[in-house]
Amino acid sequence: MQFPGSAKPPVGIVFDSAMARIDDVLALAMLHGFEGKDQARIAAIAVSSGDLRAAQFCDAVNRFYASATTGQAAMFMHFAPIGLADGKPAGESLMFSKPAGATGIKSINDTADPATLIRNALMAQYDQNAAVVLSGPATDLARLLDMYGVKDWIARKVRLLCATQTGMQADPAAAEKVFAGWPTPIVTVGREIGEALPFPGESIAKDFAYSGAHPIADAYRAYQPMPYDAPSWAMAAMLYAAHPNDGYFKPSGSGNRRALVLDPEQKERIIRTYVEMASAKPVPRKPRRPPDDKKDEKKQDPAK
Amino acid sequence: MITKKSLPRRTFLRGMGTAVALPFLDAMVPALAATRSTPPVRMAFVYVPNGIIMDGWNPDYEGPLGELPRILKPLEPYRQDITLFGNLTHNTGRALLDGAGDHGRCCASYLTGVQPRKTVIDIKAGVSFDQIVANQVGKQTRFPSLELGMEDARQAGDCDSGYSCAYTNNLAWKSETQPLPPVLDPRALFERLFGNGTALTPAARARENLYRRSILDFVSDDTRKLETGLGPTDRRKLDEYLSSIREIERQIEKAEKDNAQIDPHMEKPYGVPADFAEHFKLMTDMMTVAFQSDLTRVVTFLVTHEGTSRPYREIDIPDGHHPLTHHRNQPDLIEKVTQINSYHVRQFAAWIAKMRSIGEGDGSLLDNCMIVYGAGLSDGNRHLHEDLPTLIAGRGGSHFKSGRRIVYRKETPMCNLYLAMMDRMGVHVEHFGDSTGRLDALDLT
Repeated sequence: MQFPGSAKPPVGIVFDSAMARIDDVLALAMLHGFEGKDQARIAAIAVSSGDLRAAQFCDAVNRFYASATTGQAAMFMHFAPIGLADGKPAGESLMFSKPAGATGIKSINDTADPATLIRNALMAQYDQNAAVVLSGPATDLARLLDMYGVKDWIARKVRLLCATQTGMQADPAAAEKVFAGWPTPIVTVGREIGEALPFPGESIAKDFAYSGAHPIADAYRAYQPMPYDAPSWAMAAMLYAAHPNDGYFKPSGSGNRRALVLDPEQKERIIRTYVEMASAKPVPRKPRRPPDDKKDEKKQDPAK
Repeated sequence: MITKKSLPRRTFLRGMGTAVALPFLDAMVPALAATRSTPPVRMAFVYVPNGIIMDGWNPDYEGPLGELPRILKPLEPYRQDITLFGNLTHNTGRALLDGAGDHGRCCASYLTGVQPRKTVIDIKAGVSFDQIVANQVGKQTRFPSLELGMEDARQAGDCDSGYSCAYTNNLAWKSETQPLPPVLDPRALFERLFGNGTALTPAARARENLYRRSILDFVSDDTRKLETGLGPTDRRKLDEYLSSIREIERQIEKAEKDNAQIDPHMEKPYGVPADFAEHFKLMTDMMTVAFQSDLTRVVTFLVTHEGTSRPYREIDIPDGHHPLTHHRNQPDLIEKVTQINSYHVRQFAAWIAKMRSIGEGDGSLLDNCMIVYGAGLSDGNRHLHEDLPTLIAGRGGSHFKSGRRIVYRKETPMCNLYLAMMDRMGVHVEHFGDSTGRLDALDLT
C-alpha cells in the first residue's frame, strides 16, 4: 500500500512464479530483502503452479520476514493474500516437504485468484512505479489481460515485465498471448543468464545461520542434496526489475521486447547482491496506518 | 363460475388525497391464466457502519448453517432463509493512493463499485447498482426505489479525512455526482408511501391531526367495496395488511408523543423515534408494506452512517460507536462493539421474522426478496475491505439455495455478487464496478 504526502516509494513488484525451482524461492527471499532495505516493495505474490503447499510456503515466508515487527505496527499488520492458480500441480516439490512455519492458508479459499490479486495490487501503485516478475508459465498474466479494462491499468502502472524464458515454456499459448498483448516493455531472461550466475550453495550455511529455522535455507536444503549451486533465472529477473538502471544487466537491442545481456564484468557484483538480498535479516515494518486518536475525537457527532 | 377476470396488480384504495396500494392477493391471479402469475423479486440493502467484530460473525465452517456465532445468533431461527458469504472484497474501498478516509470510501464504493473522488466539494462516485436495477424494474412500481436511513443526512462538509459527508451519508447514487439522500423521518416516509406520492400539506396534516383519523379511514369506502369481491383468504390477507399499516401509524403517533416529552435540546426531526429499536422497526415495517404492496422493489437502508460516533445507551453503551471500533485489541472495547453489532442484528432478525410470516404466492414475502445485510468494512480496527460481513436473507424468488455459508476465494469482488443479484432482478449487465464475473454456487441448480 502506498500513501501520498511523501516521496514516491520504491518500485512495487508483482512476483508471479511457479515456485517450482529453488531460484523461485531465492527470488522471493530477495524480494523480501529489497523490501527490508526500501529498494522495492512487495505488491503481490502469486503462485502459478496450483500447488497449495507453495502458497502456504510463500505465506509462511511473509510471516517470517514480518517477525521482527512488534508493538503497534504488529497490531495493525495485515498479510496480503497469496495468489494461487486454480489447477492441479504438475508434481510435488521436495522444497515444501517440511512446513515453513505458521501460515493462514488451509485451503484454496484462503488464497486469491492470481489475476484478480494482481489487478487489485496494480491499482494501488503509483503510475509507472510497478514491475512484474514472471518466473513460470504466463497463464496468470494471460488471464489478467482478459479482464475487463485491465490493459489500461497495466499500461498506466507497470513500467516493465521481466520474464524468465525457462518458466514461460510451460504454457506456450499464454506466453504468445502475453508477448503479443502486454502493453509495456518486456525483458526476458534467457537460460544462459541463470546458468552463468549460480547462487552459491555455501551461502546457505553461512549467511542464513542467523535463524535456526530459516524457511529459505530449509527449502534450499530440501530441494536437492547439498552441496550445490543453483541457477538463478528468477533472481536475475528480480534484480533487474528492482534495479533496471544500476548496471547489473543491459537489455539487448531496442523496442518493447528485449532480452537481458550479461556483462561478465558484473558477474561477481550480481552474485554478491544475490547473496546480500536473499539472506537479509527480517527488519521491523512501519505501521500500515497508525490510529489517529485526535481524528476520532473530532469525529464525535456534534448533533449528539 | 370461473372467469378470466382478476383484480389488477396496481389496484389502490383511494380517498381524500390518499392512495393505499394492495398486497399480492389471490384475486390478482387470473383463474384461467395459462401460466400462474409469480410475485416479483425485490431487493434491499441494510448497511451497518464501522465494520463488525468478525470473530463473532464468521462461523468456523462452510456449507449448511448450523449453530451461528454470537453476533448472528438472533438469526439462528431463520438460518434456512439466509446465505452467508465469505471473502467478498471491495478493492475500490481501499486507499489506492488516496490515503486515509476508509469510512468515506467504503460507503461510497459499497453499491457503486468505484473509488470515489477524494473531495469535499466536487463529489464523484458512480451510479450505484440498485439504481441500475431501479431504472429498469422501477418502471413497474410506484417508486423506482426507496432510500431510507436513521441518522444524519448532511450532504456537505468533511466527514472523513477529506471525504465529503455525501460519501458517508448515502448508499444510493443516481448518477456519479448525484447521491440519493435517505429519508430518516418515518412520518415523511409514511406520507410518501400513502399520501398520493407527496407529503401531506401542513393544512392537510393539521386537518388529519384535528380529527386524529387514520389514513385507513380515508379509504374505508374503497375497502368495503373491495372486500365484497374477495374470498376468505384474501380478506384475511387484506385485514392483516391494513392492520399493519394502522400499527405503523400508531407507532409514529407514539413516537411523536414520546418526543414531546424528551429534552427539547435534543434535535430530533419530527416523528423520528428517540429509541433506536423503535425507529428501526418503524422503517422496516414500512419497507415490508412497500414490498408487500409492490410500491417498490428496490430499497437501500443506511442504518447509521460510516464513522458514526452514535452512543448506544439503549444497551448501556455510552461510548461512541466509531471510537470503540478502534479497540486496539482491548477485550473490553471489543466486547462493547460486539454488543452493538449484536444489537443491530437483533433488530434485523425481527424484520426477517416479520417478512417470513407474510405469505405470498407459494411461499413467504421473504422468499421473494434478496435482503442484503452487511458493512463496507470487516475489521473496523484495521479498516479492512476484504471478507466483508455479508449475508442475504431470502431466496430471490426461490432462486437461491439458502441456509448455507459459501466461502469464496480471497479478493473475490463484491461486485460479482451484484451481477448475480441483477440477474435475479431481470437486469442483465456484463460488468459492474470491478467485477470479474458472476458469483457462482448461489443458485438452486
